[in-house]
Amino acid sequence: MQPGLFVPAVSTVVSLTLLCGAAFTEVPRYPVLVPLTGFLSLEGTSQRNGAVMALEEDASVAYEVHDTGTSPEVAVNAMERALRDRIHTGAIIGPILGTQMLAMLPLAEEYGVPLVTISGTAKLTEMGNPWIFRFFPGDAVTKVAHARYVVEELGRRRPAILYQTTAYGQSGRGQLETTFRSLGAEPVYQEGLDVSVKDMTPALSKAMAARPDVLVLHMHSGPTALLIRQARARGIDLPIVAGSAMHQPSTAALLEPSELKDVCAETGASPISGGSPEMERFTAEYRQKFGSDPDAFALAQYDATRMLLLARHAGATGDAPLRDWLARSEYKGLAMTYRSDGKGNMAHDAVIVCYDGETRTPHIVQRYEGVDLAN
Amino acid sequence: MEFLQLALNGVALGAAYALVALGFVLILNATGAVNFAQGDLVAAGGFVAVALAGILPAPGYLLLPLVAILMAALGLAVSAVAYWPLRDRPPVAVFISTIALGIIIQNGLNGLFGAEPRAAPPLFAGGQLEFFGLVIARQSLSIMATAALLIGAVQLLLTRTQLGRRLRATAQDREVAAALGIPVGAMIALTFALAAALAGAAGMLLANRYFITPTHGTDFIVKAYIAVVIGGWGRIGGALAGAMLVALFETVVAAWADYAVATGLLYVAMLTILVFRPRGLFGEAEGRRA
Repeated sequence: MQPGLFVPAVSTVVSLTLLCGAAFTEVPRYPVLVPLTGFLSLEGTSQRNGAVMALEEDASVAYEVHDTGTSPEVAVNAMERALRDRIHTGAIIGPILGTQMLAMLPLAEEYGVPLVTISGTAKLTEMGNPWIFRFFPGDAVTKVAHARYVVEELGRRRPAILYQTTAYGQSGRGQLETTFRSLGAEPVYQEGLDVSVKDMTPALSKAMAARPDVLVLHMHSGPTALLIRQARARGIDLPIVAGSAMHQPSTAALLEPSELKDVCAETGASPISGGSPEMERFTAEYRQKFGSDPDAFALAQYDATRMLLLARHAGATGDAPLRDWLARSEYKGLAMTYRSDGKGNMAHDAVIVCYDGETRTPHIVQRYEGVDLAN
Repeated sequence: MEFLQLALNGVALGAAYALVALGFVLILNATGAVNFAQGDLVAAGGFVAVALAGILPAPGYLLLPLVAILMAALGLAVSAVAYWPLRDRPPVAVFISTIALGIIIQNGLNGLFGAEPRAAPPLFAGGQLEFFGLVIARQSLSIMATAALLIGAVQLLLTRTQLGRRLRATAQDREVAAALGIPVGAMIALTFALAAALAGAAGMLLANRYFITPTHGTDFIVKAYIAVVIGGWGRIGGALAGAMLVALFETVVAAWADYAVATGLLYVAMLTILVFRPRGLFGEAEGRRA
């Protein structure tokens, strides 16, 4: 069993034990509802680990972990279960999967409980629901940074965009295309790839026929690695600027360092790249606790959960006071400083990381702060 | 030249799909039911290879037989759990139980190995070869050679050995086979073991070239199903041809049209074949569909 799985399993039991006495001791609890199975289980596991790490640093709270799988119904059922008795629920830590979050939003409003997520789905914070708080930069931040780095820093103006046909992929592609055009760089080729595609040579052939000067990817982890490997095997030595999946240590682990030369990625943060003693301490503790490297999703969820706990210690207990505190406060987390834009978007910064072709550890080469706030 | 390059890639991919489809057909013929866990057994094979490579720092060609043996044992377990208790029920009961077992395998892999994509070791050295302007990865050549070897071995087993004749007799008519003294239960269990070993080999080969995650099994079972429908329900040769066709649509046709269009065209081709040859390209072996 993975080291990371044992801890939450035990912690859930411990938490449930605590819950038995919750009515008497008023221990606040934080249900962690994340996808631990299905196609987003990699990101969901990072989310769980980040939340669990923060929650276990505070002995005065309890938590429980529920797997939301991949369907909205399972997520809604998990939320209903978590809120059934409504005893001292601090806030709900919701899944990264946008379709699940959309289904959970009405419940958050109905029960009046803050819902904290790292989902990038733009619509979540555009529905006027005051109970949602998103702690990971959405496409309006990361894809703008992505396109700006390509045009402003690399000086490339003929991007070929390869994206996934999932909702995630199409949403990012739209933002990339809009930003490239606004920067005067017309994409010379665009194609959507299903996640089940194994041989990406046809897409690479068509993209190269359009004579691009950079390959821009917005794909999930495995397909990103697959495309980079197949591009390098074909002798394509163009710079590749990928989406946030590339920054995940598990993606880089699939490739040889030499294949990563001239590969960059956008992301909210890159814990393994270091940058501060606090970040390095977080990374070391995460590795020790879960036996794997943290990614930006784990760090964002850690920061989000830490902000929730800070709110409690600042006296913002109860649903509406917590919501209002989150909406008006600023929190300096490890990844960035979080503050709401009035719609519940808390994260406004992005970074670009690049690999040097010698190691699998990326270096932060560019920071973009307050991207959507500036717009 | 570009066409030849893409066709070569398609044949390498099709060779691995053929192993998946072959295991699928063997169980279909032996039990009359679809084994929907076959794709998840492919994923399991990939992860077994990843785990073995972590324990035994041996070359891939030495790990492959170990993967096949371990997967054969898993195949026996699958037959005991998903088939044996339901053997006297309609085929639909078995295919539902294999769906459930596939989900269990998928979540089990997730729990044991995590959700990260993994790469199995190559059979021989990595890198690629160039000849006549075509570039091919050594692993792709290994996939084609291994698939040809395994498919040939299965064909020899089924056609040239007493055991193979018993397996075929069981597949053709279980009641008559039992009346002739053939241990039908053992033959079916052996078929599951053989199919799982083939799935394991496919998983190891695919996991190096294309990576593997616990959820990849779903992709493989869909492709195997299409290959078998195109080739002819229960036809081994048909399944192999169907697997090649699926892979060529993913490579050659996708180079001419978008992937989404190529996928659509694959389904149009399948429907066209079924209109003009309702029993598939090679006819139907059993005449039973689950």
